[in-house]
Amino acid sequence: MQNAKDTFYLTLQARLAALNPSRTIVLRGVVRPATLVDENELPTASIPTNSFRLQWTKLQVAGASPLPRVAMECAIHYATDGTAANGGMDRGRMLAAMDAELASALTAPPHTVPKMNYAATPPAAMQTSVFWADPVFGAVCEDAERLARTATVQVFAYQEAGEL
Amino acid sequence: MSTTPSVAPVARRVRAYFAPVNRAAGTPTLFDPARLGRFPLQTPPAPWLDLGWIAKFVRKSGTKVDALRAGAPAMAVAQVRTEVDASVALEFETWGKLQSALASGSQQTNLLATAAGAAPNGSGGLAAAPVPLLTGTGPASTASALNVGATAAAAFSPGSLVAVDVDYTGQLGYIGSGISAACVQSAAVVANDINYVRRVTLNVGVVASIANGILSLATPLPAGAPSAGMQVSQLAGFCDREGASFFQEWSALFVLPGTQGDRILYHYPRLQAMQSSAEAAEPLATPLQTIRLAAAFRALPVRDANDGETVLCFRSYLPAPLRDI
Repeated sequence: MQNAKDTFYLTLQARLAALNPSRTIVLRGVVRPATLVDENELPTASIPTNSFRLQWTKLQVAGASPLPRVAMECAIHYATDGTAANGGMDRGRMLAAMDAELASALTAPPHTVPKMNYAATPPAAMQTSVFWADPVFGAVCEDAERLARTATVQVFAYQEAGEL
Repeated sequence: MSTTPSVAPVARRVRAYFAPVNRAAGTPTLFDPARLGRFPLQTPPAPWLDLGWIAKFVRKSGTKVDALRAGAPAMAVAQVRTEVDASVALEFETWGKLQSALASGSQQTNLLATAAGAAPNGSGGLAAAPVPLLTGTGPASTASALNVGATAAAAFSPGSLVAVDVDYTGQLGYIGSGISAACVQSAAVVANDINYVRRVTLNVGVVASIANGILSLATPLPAGAPSAGMQVSQLAGFCDREGASFFQEWSALFVLPGTQGDRILYHYPRLQAMQSSAEAAEPLATPLQTIRLAAAFRALPVRDANDGETVLCFRSYLPAPLRDI
């Protein structure tokens, strides 16, 4: 399952970075594309804005298939305060831009990528592919000047022999 | 390398490709899955035309298998196919010319721009004079660039719809360049209308830009570079009629791309429309609804050259790489 999670995350990160290369974040002193997985980072109370944060939530395993099929729900959180230069009055536009980037990244074909084992050096292609459904966008949450949204997407993969 | 157990295919949707049937010769376009099965979905091999993703694709087999019984009490001792039948129903996601023609069930007319003072008519009144393609003046016309000259080009604008085909000069039988669009029984029935072929042709395009008397089309004409004698008529849209007599017949290919690199292909060499024009309304949000073109076809037989079997449809499966079979 970890291979599927890593593959989906890096695919989404690459697609989002290609759509908007200027959307970056400084994390642990390093400038990187503004897409991260919460469980891979240090626990923190501060929520980064203008970035996409992935959380793996629900999990289902269908064992009837010759290869167990895993369905994982990925919740993608993002928020913006707008820019200080505009007094935050552009926060709606900035959230719309993030909506559009995420929608484009998740709905553009192909909707399947070969599963990779990133624990190997160099990363090794596995024999099955990771695939996903269309995203479902939740309602906007307002907290003072901050606008936030969560989109969820079902990610599927097959557990290969010997894979953990 | 070791193989992996195969799993049931998972597919998002179905993509449709159609190719013309030579109606005069009764020759379909055959698709060879052994040679071309893994073609890129965006670029089908010629002469297949990409009609895009479709919805509610349903295959139905009407083939009947009966038991031959003998003895008392009667017991099944053998089986026999008493009837072979198959049909396909689908909904198109777009309303292009080809999609609407296929879903019309019969010949579809182009709503040609009318001549001044033309009497009203349900499928469009008397058409305006066509615009000739220039020869010997400037570049030759191609499938995606029509040389009409600067004077005539002034009557077009980006977005203009055009039909490009030969004049009607008394042809009988199947007409329409590239694709049989209608069947003419007599010249008198079509009033010897010089524009009749352009009125029904599927050789249409959209003008994307105009420069130096050249109409550049957004996509190439299905019939390729215009032949001598072809002219251009502007049109407003398309029209089909309940009760028209022609049966559309096409070769069809439906592709389900699997998520694991596998692929299912359904090839119907001969599909004839089996219902008149219909739409399916899908509620969007009150009071909005999406209107999709709904089409249904009956499969007609072809002979498989490998063993002489008379069949209606070929279903092929291309497994994902390195899978158990």
